[in-house]
Amino acid sequence: MNATIVGIGETRYTKWGGISDQSEFSLACEAILKALDDAGLTADDVDGLASFAGDRNEAILVAQALGIPELRFADMVWLPGGGGAPASVGHAALAIESKRAEVVVAYRSLCQGQFVRFGAGPEQVWPKVERGFLVARDLVEAEFGWMVPYGVYNATTGMAMIVRRHMHLYGTTTEQMGLVAVQTRAHANRNPRAVMHGRPMTLEDHASSPMVADPLRRFDCCLESDGAAAVVVTTTERARNAKSKPVELLGYEEAVGPRYGYAGFANHNMPEEDYTTGGGTRVASRLWESTGVNPSDVDVAQIYDHYTGMVLIAFEDFAFCERGEGGPFAEDGSLPFNTAGGSLSEAYVHGLNHVVEGVRQLRGESTSQVDGAELCLVTGAAGVPGSALLLGRTR
Amino acid sequence: MTYFPDGMIPPPVSLDTAPFWDAAKEHRLVLQRCSTCERFQHPPGPVCHRCRGSNLAWRDVEGRGTVYTYTWVHKAFVPALQKQLPYAVAVIELPGAEKTRFVSNVVEVTPDTLTVGLPVELVWDDYAELSVPRFKPV
Ligand SMILES: [Zn+2]
Repeated sequence: MNATIVGIGETRYTKWGGISDQSEFSLACEAILKALDDAGLTADDVDGLASFAGDRNEAILVAQALGIPELRFADMVWLPGGGGAPASVGHAALAIESKRAEVVVAYRSLCQGQFVRFGAGPEQVWPKVERGFLVARDLVEAEFGWMVPYGVYNATTGMAMIVRRHMHLYGTTTEQMGLVAVQTRAHANRNPRAVMHGRPMTLEDHASSPMVADPLRRFDCCLESDGAAAVVVTTTERARNAKSKPVELLGYEEAVGPRYGYAGFANHNMPEEDYTTGGGTRVASRLWESTGVNPSDVDVAQIYDHYTGMVLIAFEDFAFCERGEGGPFAEDGSLPFNTAGGSLSEAYVHGLNHVVEGVRQLRGESTSQVDGAELCLVTGAAGVPGSALLLGRTR
Repeated sequence: MTYFPDGMIPPPVSLDTAPFWDAAKEHRLVLQRCSTCERFQHPPGPVCHRCRGSNLAWRDVEGRGTVYTYTWVHKAFVPALQKQLPYAVAVIELPGAEKTRFVSNVVEVTPDTLTVGLPVELVWDDYAELSVPRFKPV
């Protein structure tokens, strides 16, 4: 693509509710300014902003706050939660390729503790009740109406059922999921920015962590955290003058299959053949085809890790192994992944931190650096409509 | 019986989904069906996703199915559910509705008896203003 990543920025990362002295909006601005500084640019250079579904920090207000002189492109990807982080960078690249903008910053800021928590109570979450029902304020709330009366309030319960089905069909085990958690935690322990830095984990720790939604234990679930991240994308020409080492955007794909919707988050009526995929098979096959890269050529991957079991499924979706072989592939351990600690152990920023770590790997700056890394896959969440990027080291 | 205590969150509904809950008050399990294609679709929508026609109706469905997958929830995300832990949530395949999948609870089961493939049948759980379909082993 004629688009290059030239800047990355992150705020401090803390556990959920850990940041109360600075607004979520302020963190968004901080991450964007840090990413611009990393690139040797300022807000005067920015003419585009991109984020993805669920961001409270409207691009128009970010532009106002940062004094951006002329915003010519503002984009929100319609992929929920962690599905859209790679796509926000992809859309930034599309804007640049089409000459709609020259410097686009993709961002995500998350401080859920500063807002109403889902499940906090009906009177806080849904103000209007009629005939014993809550009046859904948007389509997504109406989708959740198929789950809420059954005590399902979040992704964990829905994804647990996908993982349970995968275990039933393929014999996937708790120990294989534990390997994902332990490997990711080991990376976090080399990364001082990680929320779980200094908190080593063994397979025994994983197996004895409390059950949340069977088969998912606490250590199978991502963190909830506060913090923000940003990524600056610009033209290949302008990237030559960047302060930092540019990283090539070799490919980007997003795709939503038939009747997928909120899938494992809601009504579970995706097609049978998609049920125990993460829905990422279309994204994967298009990415490998458009870039001409084979999965075995990838040196390091940042796989969206909201749940360990979904990482095993993502290995299958992205063709690192056959369907049903995600567990044995994790045991094999040949692919370094989530080298900053991921959502499980670094921070939960809906996966934009995965893009940041991918860039770091290809600059040679990771705290768990893969020697000579030239190709890095970055994926959005499995189990919701997703997206992916292939990043390459600049020669 | 009421399976969940007072204080649980009722379903958020829209004009497109409210007919399901209105039928539930009459203890009828209904799903949307296209009168042209003669096929069910869930979740319901403004048009048939196959023929894109709007010749849609709500059709009664037999409350028998099999467990497609399940989970035991061990954490109370709403305080009122603390005493209910763990409770079972399942995806239930409804052969009477072309294997449409329906998320609900399975009651009267234990971790030993709840399995993929378990035959289940509908039970209505009545609250003051709401009837919720749940399932129990046949
Ligand atoms: Zn039809």
